[in-house]
Amino acid sequence: MRLAAAFDCAGGELLALVGPSGSGKTSVLRAIAGLLNTPGLRGRIQVGEQSQDVWFDSSQRIRQPPQQRRVGLVFQHYALFPHLSALENIALVAGNTWASEQFDALFARMGLSGLQHRRPAQLSGGQQQRVALARALARQPQVLLLDEPFSAVDAPTRQTLYRELASLRRSVAIPMVLVTHDLNEARRLADRVVILDAGESLQIGPPDKVFASPRNARVAELVGIQNHFKGQFFTHTEADPPGFGRLVWHGPGAASRFALSVTDKGRIDNGAEVSWVVAGELLDISVATPQGEPPTPDSPRRTPSGATNTLACCLQEVLALGEISLCTLVPNALPDQRLTLNLSTALLRQLALKPGSDVHLRVPTEAVHIMPLRT
Amino acid sequence: MDWQAARISLALAVSTALLLLPFSVWLARWLATTAWRGRPMLEALLMLPLLLPPTVIGFYLLTSLGQGSPLGAWLARTLGLRLVFSFEGLLLASVLVNLPFMVQPVQRAFAAIPNSLREAAWVCGLSPWRTFWKIELPLAWPGLLAGVALTMAHTLGEFGVVLMVGGSIAGETKTLSIAIYDRVQAFDMGSAHIMALALVGASLAALALVLGADRAKPLQDR
Repeated sequence: MRLAAAFDCAGGELLALVGPSGSGKTSVLRAIAGLLNTPGLRGRIQVGEQSQDVWFDSSQRIRQPPQQRRVGLVFQHYALFPHLSALENIALVAGNTWASEQFDALFARMGLSGLQHRRPAQLSGGQQQRVALARALARQPQVLLLDEPFSAVDAPTRQTLYRELASLRRSVAIPMVLVTHDLNEARRLADRVVILDAGESLQIGPPDKVFASPRNARVAELVGIQNHFKGQFFTHTEADPPGFGRLVWHGPGAASRFALSVTDKGRIDNGAEVSWVVAGELLDISVATPQGEPPTPDSPRRTPSGATNTLACCLQEVLALGEISLCTLVPNALPDQRLTLNLSTALLRQLALKPGSDVHLRVPTEAVHIMPLRT
Repeated sequence: MDWQAARISLALAVSTALLLLPFSVWLARWLATTAWRGRPMLEALLMLPLLLPPTVIGFYLLTSLGQGSPLGAWLARTLGLRLVFSFEGLLLASVLVNLPFMVQPVQRAFAAIPNSLREAAWVCGLSPWRTFWKIELPLAWPGLLAGVALTMAHTLGEFGVVLMVGGSIAGETKTLSIAIYDRVQAFDMGSAHIMALALVGASLAALALVLGADRAKPLQDR
């Protein structure tokens, strides 16, 4: 497959490679470990400043075998040696140089004390994962690679392991690269994420930044942004407030459309077809007054900065999920479009909102992020 | 009971297994991991002794290794080696005929080792050679055991090839299975019974060993 990815990862940083199945996440990891042996592989992999830290450089014909790269790799299904005990699994990596106290200390640190002589088949999923991590660390690696390490354990164990990984990061100051298809996992654990699609890195950045402002429509789709729409952008005219342009939100039919006032950063051409997302956490919902007049512009929660758009909607569906409720809204002007919002169940009760209620949705300009259709 | 024949049978079975094992491990591991396009053809060739009548194999060996053939004449002239109607010839025939019995189980055992374990060993810093000794061989062990047991049991029971290549020379090429045939022709049913029972017992023991080793495989769960 085609691989075109470039990224760096600082010591102590956790970088997550995120993408759908077959996007090349694991291949990138295997390339770092030296397990990817595609004949025409081109690129450069470096882990430090020394000359021996260049693990791969196709232009200089450097290709260190996996044995010479000090890399700690936790395989997706751990790849523990089934015929060896937990201790033997780790001792095979550590060699003869380790004293028994060192092994005891490592087992204690990983919460594995007393399990030294169990075979992998006699350990729980979480314990196996810890042995795999201990084995990776015993290599005293220059980089730690984690290939979907949480996919094979149950949800409660996963929460524990998340916390353990967070505490491990405080004690081990090496670059860590995590492969995951779970965006929430990436968001929760990683300092930065690399969005991969068909072997290509589309966007790199802190998770919140990538989620709030995906670089293009494909990234928005990949990170699973729910409120992702099509529209047409018009640059600033005299009718708009200074610094603002307009976004005409349209559905598949030309009949339904709605103009939103948006920031004009001068990057998008007049009349361009665009893709746009709206950040749900920046929207305000209020009950529509019977007369249909717009709500008071100054909400106590936010002072309006420039233009604010008010959208009359019908609350179509409410799915209570405990503290939050998943709400589906249909704009009156665009009956074929759907907005999905996570609202607090308490707020819904306070406003006495239920399916069929008419509401007003305040969309501040900063909640709207416009992307070109292709980059 | 023809003890002389039993000794020859046992010597043949043990030497066949010992000669065949290292080569089979090498070949089976290669077959289990290679992406070579000619692999199915080679595997078919290896399986051939299972399907051909033993007399056919014996016939070809006899004609290609006998003194009348160029190869047989050359072997006799340069190495002083006579491969028909001798124990050495019997051993060679036995090795060839038993290839599938040894290679098949060993190959399946190596193929069952997930590639991720091999890669995990490399990433852990183990050389390919240490990976083989520390990881692959211990995991393939039940397959090796099965190969040895099947080969020995099959060698003990081989008849057609042995008769064609070795003849029936007492103290040289007369094995237990041929001794049974001799006894039956001489209407000595008592001796035939004893020897036949011994072969049944040996084969049963070998099969039990193979199946037992297969059962004791919780190591392989993944």
